[in-house]
Amino acid sequence: SRTPPPSLSAQVPLSFSLSKDMAADVHDKKVDWELQNGSLAPADGSHSERSESPTPGLIEGTEPGAGQDRAMFVHTRSYEDLTAGGEVKGCPQQMESSLEGQSNMEEINKDFNELSTQLTGVAMDVEEEMESGLDERSLSRQRSRQDSVRSEKEEEDVTAESWRSHRKHVFVLSEAGKPIYSRYGAEETLSSTMGVMMALVSFVEAEKNVIKSIHSDDYKVVFMRRSPLVLVGVARTCQSEQDIARELLYIYYQIISLLTFTQLTRIFEQKQNYDLRRLLAGSERITDNLLNLMDQDPSFLMSAVRCLPLATSTREAISSSLQQAKAKNLVFSILLSRNQLVTLVRKKDQFLHHVDLHLLVNLISSSTSFREGEAWTPICLPKFNCNGFFHAHISYLDQVTDLCLLLISTDREDFFNISNCKRRFLERIKKRSTYQALQDSLQNPTYSCTQVGIPDLRHFIYKSRSSGLFTSPEVEAPYITDEERERLLGLYQYLYSRVHNSSRPLNFIYHTGESENLLAWVTSGFELYMCFSPMGSKAGAVAAIGKLMKWIRKEEDRLFILNPPTY
Amino acid sequence: KKFLFSSPRMATGTQDKQYNPTLLSFFIYNPKFGPKEGEEEKKILFYHPNEVEKNEKIRNVGLCEAIVQFTRTFCPTKPAKSLHTQKNRQFFHEPEENFWMVMVVRNPMIEKSNKDGKPLVEYQEEEILDTVYNAVLQQCYSMYRLFNGSFAQALETGGVELLKQRLEKFFYRYLQTLHLKSCDLLDVFGGISFFPLDKMTYLKIQSFVNKVEENLDLVKYTSLIFGSKDVLRSGLEQDDMRILYKYLTTSLFPRHTEPELAGRDSPMRTEMSGNLQHYGRFLTGPSNPNDPEAKCRFPKIFVNTEEELHLIVYKAMSAAVCFMVDASLELTRDFCVKLNKLVGPHLTVLASDICEQYNINKRLSGPEKEPQFKYIYFNHMNLAEKSTIHMRKTASISLTSVHPDLMKILGDINSDFSRVDDDEEIIVKAMSDYWVVGKKSDQRELYVILNQKNANLIEVNEEVKKLCATQFSNIFFLD
Repeated sequence: SRTPPPSLSAQVPLSFSLSKDMAADVHDKKVDWELQNGSLAPADGSHSERSESPTPGLIEGTEPGAGQDRAMFVHTRSYEDLTAGGEVKGCPQQMESSLEGQSNMEEINKDFNELSTQLTGVAMDVEEEMESGLDERSLSRQRSRQDSVRSEKEEEDVTAESWRSHRKHVFVLSEAGKPIYSRYGAEETLSSTMGVMMALVSFVEAEKNVIKSIHSDDYKVVFMRRSPLVLVGVARTCQSEQDIARELLYIYYQIISLLTFTQLTRIFEQKQNYDLRRLLAGSERITDNLLNLMDQDPSFLMSAVRCLPLATSTREAISSSLQQAKAKNLVFSILLSRNQLVTLVRKKDQFLHHVDLHLLVNLISSSTSFREGEAWTPICLPKFNCNGFFHAHISYLDQVTDLCLLLISTDREDFFNISNCKRRFLERIKKRSTYQALQDSLQNPTYSCTQVGIPDLRHFIYKSRSSGLFTSPEVEAPYITDEERERLLGLYQYLYSRVHNSSRPLNFIYHTGESENLLAWVTSGFELYMCFSPMGSKAGAVAAIGKLMKWIRKEEDRLFILNPPTY
Repeated sequence: KKFLFSSPRMATGTQDKQYNPTLLSFFIYNPKFGPKEGEEEKKILFYHPNEVEKNEKIRNVGLCEAIVQFTRTFCPTKPAKSLHTQKNRQFFHEPEENFWMVMVVRNPMIEKSNKDGKPLVEYQEEEILDTVYNAVLQQCYSMYRLFNGSFAQALETGGVELLKQRLEKFFYRYLQTLHLKSCDLLDVFGGISFFPLDKMTYLKIQSFVNKVEENLDLVKYTSLIFGSKDVLRSGLEQDDMRILYKYLTTSLFPRHTEPELAGRDSPMRTEMSGNLQHYGRFLTGPSNPNDPEAKCRFPKIFVNTEEELHLIVYKAMSAAVCFMVDASLELTRDFCVKLNKLVGPHLTVLASDICEQYNINKRLSGPEKEPQFKYIYFNHMNLAEKSTIHMRKTASISLTSVHPDLMKILGDINSDFSRVDDDEEIIVKAMSDYWVVGKKSDQRELYVILNQKNANLIEVNEEVKKLCATQFSNIFFLD
């Protein structure tokens, strides 16, 4: 039994620390998924207070996909960030508390400390300092490449109908009402619109109140205040207000990941009407990419991470190679392929938050410049510590399969050390022919829903709540076009927002429609979302749950990372 | 009898105080009336509460204008309908061009006391349903219009001053009757409960109406209502009937206690119309038409957009009849006496016939035992509504027999339905383990709350099928 380090405890929900102990005891008993009287109940009946209801008594930590002894991620309840009440209040304190004790954290903290002294020390002229501070980053990010993409955007007429009818606008502005980012259209042409946004925020604040959202028949406008920034989303999607707010929060974290919270606040403390675009120049593309990714990838909606389906032996061999290729300042070693996690090795007692991993995934997928050679870039992982920079070593191991290795270090002078880790890792997996096995698996990085063997089942998402991992098959017909794929994600967003409604949560939904039938089922252990053909019956759907859960249990070694390794 | 009362939430501490949503303010403005700086006050046509300081009124109106303008950036034709803030929600409605009605509702809140005994207020931001309060705001306008005609009409007749007077006079009282905490899905529907008629009763009603309209040729429209809530005959256009029905059932009827139910010796009974042949009496107009001093003034209503009418509401036992007469005609005491003499006996007979039919219907529907489900049904085509969730309606308060959270889930399902025109069915299980089913088919919506927590999806489906077969096989699915 273990309690999370104090620096993280603010983010860890109660259930996290509670469930782990149980998980260890119960996990070995595999739960047999049988249908009893048409309702789903665990056959062993060990947690069957409500066995007649369709809620099986699976405790968090025993569901398929749950980690064997401890989870890989610090995971949170869905709306933790939104309900925690404004600001990243936790951050400064978190920094302080992490400074006390915790021997294994000391080095990291020392490093953060140095970094922040460096940052505070120079600050005579904010602008100069910031620009010089960005030098190393702009080198690795090759600003010039991105300029061409942006110019299209700059030319968009913000008074045209085509601008208005974008499905989702996102704006970021400073508290002085200065434009920082707009998803569509050049920021400077939107300065009056953003001025109005800020005026609305301040007006409501003057009444000791907080503006949340505006609703019309066609769209929602969602406001999010994260001092010193204000984020505004305008969406024509069917997403709930909370969903849109969650996406805005990702954008906020994205900006923090480039600047750190400390730096961001200090800039505006020193110069209230500072034009942050100067500092973020070249990074708009990362934000654009994040927004596009959120429109397609259910990871963000699920607040979870998807693993690459892989034979346990291969995954374990890779993990152990990564484990051995360690260095003093290495905190996380992450191997990714196209937004799917191959493995993650972490320092003992250090946890990565799924938000931070999503930001890393977005960072590498938004820039082609990482594809060549080795990149070394400072990055803040806002959920881990919003006040300091890590240094990420990013290298593609394979261009075709997008196999990408991320090594996260606390020391910015560590490049050669870390590069050496990469070399050692590569040598090891190549020698043991693990690499070939991995390459073979990457030929089929997803699986088809037909493998489950349920005729009416078109697609599903299954999330293990205790491990923060989810699995989902390839999106297949009839969801072929981008529009149809987005519609499918929209259906999941609908189900998600209803089961996770903050004031009226639901256990179960069965939705019969003209185009498909949908099912959502949330227990303390897992979340299941299923999409059936409209021809399917309710009895069929109930039977399908049992069959699918059995299949996932059978495949869990391949679909999930059950033994998250540490150095 | 209590049904479905268990709370899905954790029991809160005893010191916690729960506050319901309340009306914070309500105002009507027209931005064209004071476009210049310094003239902003002229925009405001009505403001409740009136005590609010002038500058604050101007500021709040200004915020609404800004919100509406701002949202036009993203869709010029569909401006904001609501603004959500931590403490309250504002609802916007533009019923006539440039005339904006705004209703501000404070979110429900819980007052907790912390360790030092200091009160700590927590606003519940997700409790209020937009659809419900948007409907309530629209109802406010419809009700105003029923008794006053349009805003434009008042402007034409007597300028801004007359409009302001009318607004003041109407809303001052009307707003006091808004019971925001008990508003729910039924306000969204704004439906009408119809009496299930058999052929015989239908013919009797028809012959009653023919006889009356033949003898009282001033009467233009006739509506009939049984038991203070079931419509027997509408006689008006749907939208007019809907709002007249709302007025009668939530305001007029509840104000008139039933003398039929009063004790034998109650003063009510002896004062009754001074005749013994029938139980008829006026609910609007003279309380005793035979009194030579009686004033024969009736409220005026506006239907068919601009048509002005006298509203005569006359009741005998459980049957009420509304006669509508062109407002330009003067109604004399003679007319009232004649009406009383003619309608009183006929309506008394009709009322007892219908009452008999009502009792037969009740017996046929089986003995009254606690059912396994409660439901709401609504038909968009004829506005027919039926609810076994709402026990009765007193002056604008409808009592529901289910937990408010379940009512809100019904509201959520209703909003899901309104997103697409397709037929849909949604079955959900709440955290409290109650099953809630929503069905939409061909403009009709049915919502069922089941009391069988342990049922599975298949059983729930069977239960709802059975309900449809028994309850909606005849009148409700055959309209």
